[in-house]
Amino acid sequence: MNDDDFGRGLISQSEWRRPSVRWGVGTTQALLLVALVVFGLGPILWLAKSSITPTIDTITNPMSFFPHGAAWSNLREAWTTVHVGRYFWNTVVLAFGSWGVQIVVATTGGFALSVLSPTYARVINALLLGTLFVPTVVLLVPLYIEIVRPPLIHHSFIDSYWAVWLPAGASAFNVVIVKRFFDNLPREIFEAARIDGAGPFRLFWSIVLPMSKPIVGVVSIFAVLASWKDFLWPLLVLTNPNEQPLSVRLPSIQSQTSLGVFLAAMFIACLVPIAGFLVFQRSFLRGSGLGGAVKG
Amino acid sequence: MAVVDHLGEPALSSRRGLSGIARVPRRTPITWVRGGGLTTLVFLLPLLFIFGAFSWYPIVRTVIMSLQHTNLVQPATWVGFQNFERVWHDPLFPIAVKNTAYFAALALVFGYPIPLIAAVLMSEVRKRRGIYSALAYLPVVIPPVVAVLLWKTFYDASSTGAFNTILSWVHLGPYPWLQSQQWAMPSLVLESTWANAGGTVIIYLAALTGVQTELYEAASVDGAGLLRKVWHITLPQLRGILLVTMILQIIGTAQVFLEPYLFTSGGPANATLTVLLLIYNYAFGNSLGGDYGNATALSLMLAGFLTLFCLFYLRATRSWSTR
Amino acid sequence: MKSTRVAMTVAVAGLLAVLAGWVSSTAAGSTHANKTITISVASLIPGSTDAAVQEFNAQVAQFEKTNPSIKVNSVEYKWTAPTFAAKLAAGTLPTVFEVPFTDARSLGDNGQLADITSYVKALPYYSKYNPAVLAEGTTAKGKIVALPKGAYAQALHYNRSLFKEAGLDPNKPPTTWAQVRADAKAIAQKTGKAGYVQMAKDDNTAGWILTTLVYSLGGRMETGIGTKAHATLDNPKTIQALNLLKAMRWTDNSMGSTFDYGWSDINQAFAAGTVGMYISGSDVYSNLVSASNINPSIYGLAAIPLANSKTAGVLGGGTLAGVRPDANAAQKAAAVKWLDFFYERPLIDKQRAIANAKTLAESKQPVGVPALPIFNKAQYDLANTWIKPYVNVPLNQMKPFNTGIFKQQLIPEPEASTQSVYHALDAVVEAVLTDKNTNVVQMLQQANSTAQTAIQQGS
Repeated sequence: MNDDDFGRGLISQSEWRRPSVRWGVGTTQALLLVALVVFGLGPILWLAKSSITPTIDTITNPMSFFPHGAAWSNLREAWTTVHVGRYFWNTVVLAFGSWGVQIVVATTGGFALSVLSPTYARVINALLLGTLFVPTVVLLVPLYIEIVRPPLIHHSFIDSYWAVWLPAGASAFNVVIVKRFFDNLPREIFEAARIDGAGPFRLFWSIVLPMSKPIVGVVSIFAVLASWKDFLWPLLVLTNPNEQPLSVRLPSIQSQTSLGVFLAAMFIACLVPIAGFLVFQRSFLRGSGLGGAVKG
Repeated sequence: MAVVDHLGEPALSSRRGLSGIARVPRRTPITWVRGGGLTTLVFLLPLLFIFGAFSWYPIVRTVIMSLQHTNLVQPATWVGFQNFERVWHDPLFPIAVKNTAYFAALALVFGYPIPLIAAVLMSEVRKRRGIYSALAYLPVVIPPVVAVLLWKTFYDASSTGAFNTILSWVHLGPYPWLQSQQWAMPSLVLESTWANAGGTVIIYLAALTGVQTELYEAASVDGAGLLRKVWHITLPQLRGILLVTMILQIIGTAQVFLEPYLFTSGGPANATLTVLLLIYNYAFGNSLGGDYGNATALSLMLAGFLTLFCLFYLRATRSWSTR
Repeated sequence: MKSTRVAMTVAVAGLLAVLAGWVSSTAAGSTHANKTITISVASLIPGSTDAAVQEFNAQVAQFEKTNPSIKVNSVEYKWTAPTFAAKLAAGTLPTVFEVPFTDARSLGDNGQLADITSYVKALPYYSKYNPAVLAEGTTAKGKIVALPKGAYAQALHYNRSLFKEAGLDPNKPPTTWAQVRADAKAIAQKTGKAGYVQMAKDDNTAGWILTTLVYSLGGRMETGIGTKAHATLDNPKTIQALNLLKAMRWTDNSMGSTFDYGWSDINQAFAAGTVGMYISGSDVYSNLVSASNINPSIYGLAAIPLANSKTAGVLGGGTLAGVRPDANAAQKAAAVKWLDFFYERPLIDKQRAIANAKTLAESKQPVGVPALPIFNKAQYDLANTWIKPYVNVPLNQMKPFNTGIFKQQLIPEPEASTQSVYHALDAVVEAVLTDKNTNVVQMLQQANSTAQTAIQQGS
């Protein structure tokens, strides 16, 4: 780190040369780091610690550090007795299905609107954009009634995973960003493929899809994260506890589970999102920088 | 929103279609199929089905149901604006509106400046900025249900609760947190800020990289101090993104449901009852069947209010953001 | 030609005969020897121990053995307000499902429970039913739509070891509300734990327990029945009850620091030893054992103190089991057979009672938890002698309740729009416990008008 690093941003070179500025900024940044560790990481570390602390210690002395040893049995009990594994699996299945539906809808729809571009594309674009402005609460009740009593099929979809997978696909945001990505693809490639005799299906499968890896990656991360966090909708449509994901099940088992085991279950529920974040950090942060700015 | 700009322009001229052949003026079903129209429709089927069934149709149904009395046993009957009147006269309605506004205001006061300050500080970090970003974003990755339940144990009001224990080290407390009508809503906002600030920090960090550094150099030459530079250069350059995040935050907090539902079930004594929670109670709170008319009416009222608010906001800030 | 025509006629007639036979056999349901009737029944609450699940399946096997034409599918089931409404609307409830006393009559009146009057009246012990309990499952028009699974009365649960620690005699629980207040204060001061705790969650449990208190002082929340009922939430006894809570909370500071307990978390807190006394149904010991692994020696059960008034009584409640309205005749008959076998026989048939108690005791489930008689008292006492050898709950610690309850008047929950009445009271209880300066009278008046509106709307 030399002085050339500075002078390009907020702090100018001359300022950086002054020791008071250097100390001031350095201290502020150190304090910021401490604050981030304490507030950002702290609660999660506490959760990790408490998940292997005996319940009685967590209740009487929550900020102590293993006064009577660790209780690894909490984790074991959470996995077996509380069946965290089952709800974990449910969450995975729900996420996978929602992801699949969202990818299919966004890629086929984006391809059709952007590349095939029929005359009525404008109408569909307007309808999609319209839904971006509608708050999700508006859909809640009629969507629920629709799942309970579908209009044409006389069979309720309550307690079926399709009730979660299918509506997840109705994300206008996904279609918009995929379409935008396709809009930016070089048209010459499509022309070349057409000259080679490729029809729309070939074009989609062999040309466009392989080129869409970045945007599919972004959509995938959002889809999986959104599914992992989903609470109200699975709460309403999945009434059978054995089918419920972690987010729905955890609150309802709290009063039947001792605190230590419950915290262990919560910690297990965090592991996948945290691990996923650490591995895919760059995509996360890039995606939410861009996407977050326009997400409705 | 930048995304909107490109939407109206099709990538290829629609008259030419993919086949590249100029269309004959006479359009029959056969020419449509031959021109690839059927294929396009096939590609659009997933989108049309999913959106039709789970987005457009429910939106229409909400409007219809708000004018009906539905109880799923007998056929629905039209009742005009009765649902809206009943919601308007429900004593819980003004309470819910006030609480929601309170939550949004608190979130704005506490949750809006903090990510900005953090982002500005972080943008000047030279070494290992990645750690700062990762730490800031970590709470966002935690599933919201886990975050709320975790903070619920922190908020234990006895003297051995986690927060009360920490505060006792500096001779403060114990505080009632969720057990007090005054403290409950601020407690919710505190957790909500913790769980969401990281996302906004990342957005601001991305935007800060777009600030023109020549302006800083010019200001330094003029003898401006650090704080002055932030106020007169950084903030105005971020104007656009700041306005967007503010309106997004307002829209988001107006629909807050998870925190009041899991932390306090709307209590104590309706101190944390928000509009979304009231809608939920209307529709799903009664074991004998919900009042779907009231629920949809209130949903529409909220949507209508948010739309109007957005329009006023855009008009009011239009001059500010393009100056 | 004639022969062809004859042949045709014979063929058509034969076809019609086969068709008629097929139609009639399906219409008659499953009276055909080779057809089995399938019904689904509510089994245990989700999260039950494996031992309990095994025990239930054993009972199903036994039932199917004695009734070879009936096949039983068990479905995990827990009644909560939102999921019940969802299943009801979606039509995914099992054939036999359970509902609390508060909802059964409304459901029956709305045609959401099957009419099983004729099947019930054919049961051999029909005349032995406690009429007040059977009435909970009978519609306004006199149709029986559900049979009682269990009935309970509200009771005072107290922690014997906290009593001892506070210098109180654990065998002499309080018998007046003044004593409750004094004992709570002693526990709070001498042990640092909450002396008396009350449910105050916004899910109708706050209103439920407040109503219990008011009943014990002699007040009532309603007069009249149905949509013509008159809400009396703001009666003087309610004000008196709330003032008692206010005194215990703010003057004595004997109610601890948590005021959003619901039914299950108050049990959890009690089992963890942080609560001196609380009110809940007399049957919660089962939950204390299964969900929270309570140490039996700390558990004490007493009757709720009643004021010296003719109208003072104990709030009673319970669970009923009913049948889906769209069940056909054969399914209804099968369902009532299951109701008879699973819910009623263990209370009235010696062999079943003993077999039931034995399997429960073997899988370490509580046997002998105090309940209210569904049949007459003589039957109840008789049944208790049958299961005596298997009782594994600390009955002598529950003596104050078992001796006291039968001297008390049992009062059913408010009949009209019960849940809405409780819900209107929730906020009042929460306010009293969280705000020292709550205007009790004003809040009660508001609650009363909310409840009255709900009653008039039939919700």
